[in-house]
Amino acid sequence: MLEIKDLSASIEGNKILKGIDLKVNPGEIHAIMGPNGSGKSTLANVLAGREEYEITGGSILFEDNDLLELDPEDRAREGLFLAFQYPVEIPGVSNSYFLKTAYNEKRKYQGMEEIDAADFLMIMKEKMKLVEMDQALINRPVPMG
Amino acid sequence: MSTELEKIESLAKKEYKYGWTTDIESDSLPLGLNEDIIKALSAKKNEPEFMLSWRLKAFKRWQQMEEPNWAKVNYPKIDYQKISYYSAPKKKKKLKSLDEVDPELLRTYEKLGIPLAEQEKLAGVAVDAVFDSVSVATTFKDKLSELGIIFCSFSEAVQNHPDLVKKYLGSVVPATDNFFASLNSAVFSDGSFVYVPKGVRCPMELSTYFRINAADTGQFERTLIVAEEGSYVSYLEGCTAPMRDENQLHAAVVELVAHKDAEIKYSTVQNWYPGDSEGNGGIYNFVTKRGICKEENAKISWTQVETGSAITWKYPSVILKGDNSIGEFYSVAMTNNMQQADTGTKMIHLGKNTKSNIVSKGISAGKSNNSYRGLVKISKHAEHARNFSQCDSLLIGDKCGAHTFPYIDVHNTSAQIEHEATTSKIGEDQIFYLNQRGISTEDAVSMIVNGYCKEVFRELPMEFAVEAQNLLSLSLEGSVG
Repeated sequence: MLEIKDLSASIEGNKILKGIDLKVNPGEIHAIMGPNGSGKSTLANVLAGREEYEITGGSILFEDNDLLELDPEDRAREGLFLAFQYPVEIPGVSNSYFLKTAYNEKRKYQGMEEIDAADFLMIMKEKMKLVEMDQALINRPVPMG
Repeated sequence: MSTELEKIESLAKKEYKYGWTTDIESDSLPLGLNEDIIKALSAKKNEPEFMLSWRLKAFKRWQQMEEPNWAKVNYPKIDYQKISYYSAPKKKKKLKSLDEVDPELLRTYEKLGIPLAEQEKLAGVAVDAVFDSVSVATTFKDKLSELGIIFCSFSEAVQNHPDLVKKYLGSVVPATDNFFASLNSAVFSDGSFVYVPKGVRCPMELSTYFRINAADTGQFERTLIVAEEGSYVSYLEGCTAPMRDENQLHAAVVELVAHKDAEIKYSTVQNWYPGDSEGNGGIYNFVTKRGICKEENAKISWTQVETGSAITWKYPSVILKGDNSIGEFYSVAMTNNMQQADTGTKMIHLGKNTKSNIVSKGISAGKSNNSYRGLVKISKHAEHARNFSQCDSLLIGDKCGAHTFPYIDVHNTSAQIEHEATTSKIGEDQIFYLNQRGISTEDAVSMIVNGYCKEVFRELPMEFAVEAQNLLSLSLEGSVG
């Protein structure tokens, strides 16, 4: 499913990743561990397609697609999700609007019809109940509180 | 790093969507400005004597005035003798209904997305459409007149309600107020007039679309809104103009008068041609807007979304004369490419317990310059006056400028004044975060900017809020949506 081969990457001239190999099959859960500065975040950022990193060698295949050829948004739409350690704040944009937009981008990518705000709110409320999340979060800005 | 920046900058560039000229015969006065031109203009409009003498007085004063140069804007000197001061679509007869309106004109409105006929029925908005300088169609007038509300073109008001015009014209912005206001007073060709009688709540949003058309024609609009005791009115002003190479001068004046317990809400979406990416062409928008809360508990609220014009010079203000009166100013000013904006507000506190609230959001992209300039003045007798100001600036790219010039002038120690200001850039972190949730960079920028402007957009009437969001996205997007 995900195949990283001899991946090297650097940022601002500093070599961080030096020949990583990793193969992840469907259904597997992998945890990457290591001391501070060993390149865990760099690997995650490179997979997600952050621009500051320069890929100096190797390849990444994600479900037979060359991941390095895709823009970050297309990688996300293909199903690669990065949970942020320090999510950024986007003032004035509510969680519900943000999530609906993201959800619809994915649906569009998969050739499905976009869903409207009312239907999305239903889905969201249902899922929030499932994880016992406070409904007040819906209208808060991304991703405060 | 720099590629991301370039991407954002290129997103911020787009062609002006409303660029075309309508082919309609115009009936213009010769270029230039002198007493004879003013007399001819006044005669063309069949004005009573008091109007002509008022215009001439303003012109005399204007001749002695100097063009102001304190704003942070640059432009070549304007030759006021090379401007035509009147242009009206040639009409054969008086228009009674939309069917009689020049079909070419109606098509222009449709391109602008203002189908008058439809808007009449669907939106419940009465539109007094100003095409160049003469109002061509006024809708919903009957319904409004049942309530005693007068909503008509300024020319009609001069003909049909001369006493009201005489009483209020120049009562907030005198003919001698400033260079551009005096010029307007001398040569204004038309505009809108609203009068809401005592105790009446205007049941619909009143709306006017301005559009500059004939080449080399300065547009001098004059709007006067009077709200009698205990009344309420919400007025919308939206504008677009066709693409032109010559700079077009626009010097409008808006006067608002709110009597005891009355409320006036004035909203503007301004999208005039800003010039090309090299700074050629575009509208010079030099506007004087001022309202007075004449008696106690009056309220005036200005909301503006300014995305167009090569130069914007505009400070919608409120004179808080009545005790307990309230003044508000909500503004989004977006500049791109070579655009320049110097805009803000003046809140003049004269009465006791007067309150004012200022929220200004500036967005600069390209090589543009965006300045907030505001004055909060608390006079000696304004006991317990309060003001809150918030001025935020958002920068897109690294070649633009944002400036804030808040003036605070307090003469009463019981006043409470708060001022907050922030400057931020659209962060690559924010864009990457949204990218990683499947949202394209273009949509991400639009989402961030619209979120940033939310506090102002929610002050706009519903239909305008949607339009304003589209406008901002349009102004930012690479492709026209």
